[in-house]
Amino acid sequence: MSEWVRVQTTVDDREKIWTKPRSFAGDVWFRFRRKPTALAGFILVVVLLAFALLGPLFSPYSYSDQSLALANIPPVLWVSEVPNGNYIYITPSMKLIQLDRDGHLLGQLRKVHDDAKARQTTFTLDEQTTVVLDYNEKPAVLLGVDGQRNTQGKSIWNASYLLGTDQLGRDILTRLMYGTRISLLVAFVAATINMLIGILYGGISGFAGGRTDAIMMRIVDIISTIPLTLYVILIKVTLDNGLFSIILALSSVYWVDMARVVRGQVLSLKQQEFVLASKSIGSGSRTIMLKHLIPNAMGPILVTVTMLIPSAIFVEAFMSFIGIGIAPPMASLGTMCNDAMEALRSNPYQLFLPALAICLIMFAFNFVGDGLRDALDPKLKK
Amino acid sequence: MTKYVLKRLGMMMITLFMIVLLTFILMHSVPGGPFTRDKQVAPAVLRALEQKYNLNAPLPQQFFDYLSGLLRFDLGPSFKYTGKTVNDFITNGFPFSGRLGLITLVFVLLTSIPMGVVASLKNGRWQDMLLMALATLGVTIPSFVIAAGLMYVFAFQLKWLPVFGVDDWRGYILPMIALGGYSVSFLARLMRSSLLEVMGQDYIRTARAKGISELRVITHHALRNAIIPVITVLGPTVANLLTGSFVIEKIFAIPGMGSYFVNSVTQRDYTTIMGMTVFYAAFLITMVFIVDLFYVMIDPRIKYE
Repeated sequence: MSEWVRVQTTVDDREKIWTKPRSFAGDVWFRFRRKPTALAGFILVVVLLAFALLGPLFSPYSYSDQSLALANIPPVLWVSEVPNGNYIYITPSMKLIQLDRDGHLLGQLRKVHDDAKARQTTFTLDEQTTVVLDYNEKPAVLLGVDGQRNTQGKSIWNASYLLGTDQLGRDILTRLMYGTRISLLVAFVAATINMLIGILYGGISGFAGGRTDAIMMRIVDIISTIPLTLYVILIKVTLDNGLFSIILALSSVYWVDMARVVRGQVLSLKQQEFVLASKSIGSGSRTIMLKHLIPNAMGPILVTVTMLIPSAIFVEAFMSFIGIGIAPPMASLGTMCNDAMEALRSNPYQLFLPALAICLIMFAFNFVGDGLRDALDPKLKK
Repeated sequence: MTKYVLKRLGMMMITLFMIVLLTFILMHSVPGGPFTRDKQVAPAVLRALEQKYNLNAPLPQQFFDYLSGLLRFDLGPSFKYTGKTVNDFITNGFPFSGRLGLITLVFVLLTSIPMGVVASLKNGRWQDMLLMALATLGVTIPSFVIAAGLMYVFAFQLKWLPVFGVDDWRGYILPMIALGGYSVSFLARLMRSSLLEVMGQDYIRTARAKGISELRVITHHALRNAIIPVITVLGPTVANLLTGSFVIEKIFAIPGMGSYFVNSVTQRDYTTIMGMTVFYAAFLITMVFIVDLFYVMIDPRIKYE
């Protein structure tokens, strides 16, 4: 007896295509997710979006809540214990902040007496007890019950402000959420407007061809020799300090690359047979453009857009950093970096946190853009 | 060749004119005059000021006055600093910016090309991975973040290098790395892919078949062609270094043109903004032009239409 049994098949079965047909989008997704950096970038984009859009819902603070008494508190504190069981954090400007044992900030201690000669300051802890800060030697420390310098202490996480506070006592975590939101918003809107202008300009130029094309492309050539960052700055100077004017400044100059890409695509696509077929059944220019040419050029367009987003974020951060960004108390990541630059030595976390956020955004979009380019057009892969 | 040069020169003139026109229009479309302040200026004073700065002439007249000033390399007075002209700012700032720019350009070329060559020769191995990971970092991290990071580590923590200023050569090191970081990474990537492509071509196989040493194949045959794409993007690279220097000069307190420009922008000193923009643009266009001429000269395959 053989263990092998003949399977009953029919001709139809053999002719049937057993794998599921894959759509273009499915195909792109299949190639996209096989690249680890692209997938990581995509996940990072989702996480960043969630952080920026949903984060503020869970935050007890708003981006403009100030408490000057609790300014410049880092995320990790070096604290010493006091008699009532709480902890005391000594700020670089010799103020005492009381924390409970879990690391929640309770507030600043009131100064009662400053003995400049002995170089000691007395603060009230509660009604009966006082603590003495001794600043004869650096670093300043509290005096223990025995009157000796109490150099013991430990590091504790800041439970009230997880990532610390900035120079005006605003919660950095919350401001990071709003900053990321604004940076992403500016980038998305600017990229979309640039895409639309680029498609329109490049599409018309490529479709019309001839002299129109030559003139339109000459204009693009002239624009692209001008350093665009300069013009974004100029346009921004003539407008006010709002969100809208940044978007306007960014969208008015960066469509040039997109226009070139679209024109190149349209020029080669319009020679192809399917366009001729469409023409022969009487479609007008509008239909050919919108139904045939643009959809077929969508791959390179999408890739250019994903590459536009990081450069928009980059330029926005750049402008904010040189001081012509969004008006306070709103903040983008660039303005947060700019605000923190002066105090880099004493409060480095105020600069490195928003800087890290900018880097993450840039990484995410660059990886997604790279992955998308390979996935949309495998021929381009180097 | 002469025809090509003349044509390019003509295009340059048109571009420059457009830039001046555009800048002029933008700066004159600012709501309120340059002397609109929180504190009202007396009408007589205002009239005298406008007379002094040629602001009461009709706009086209002002434009042509400005243009004829430009032809004499006179960029006009500063609105904010009385007695200072835009030319003063440029002559004060240019030596610093020029030096930093030149040093950075040399640094970029001396690091990016070897990086690209090594990465492409060790294609797929750890050297390649490491260099390209570095290059990805350099392309994605904004220059001011690099600058702040370098400053914190090397100037504040390790105290190896000065924090501010360019009193001696050590002051240029951090600004140079921060300013050139992006360009180094970009050019290294370009160099790598270009050399990879060239190394696969037939004439390289021929050269090897002739028994030439591998080093000579690379230096005498492959590099010559592989370096061409790098030269093409030198123009944009110079542009990048130039605009990048705004931030870098601000961070490291270098008294170059970039810091004058940023100052004029934040203080809304309109004539200075206008003059500096025109100067930057003219400088850049000239650089791109020179690079293009060079490019045509070294690559005989390029036809100058």
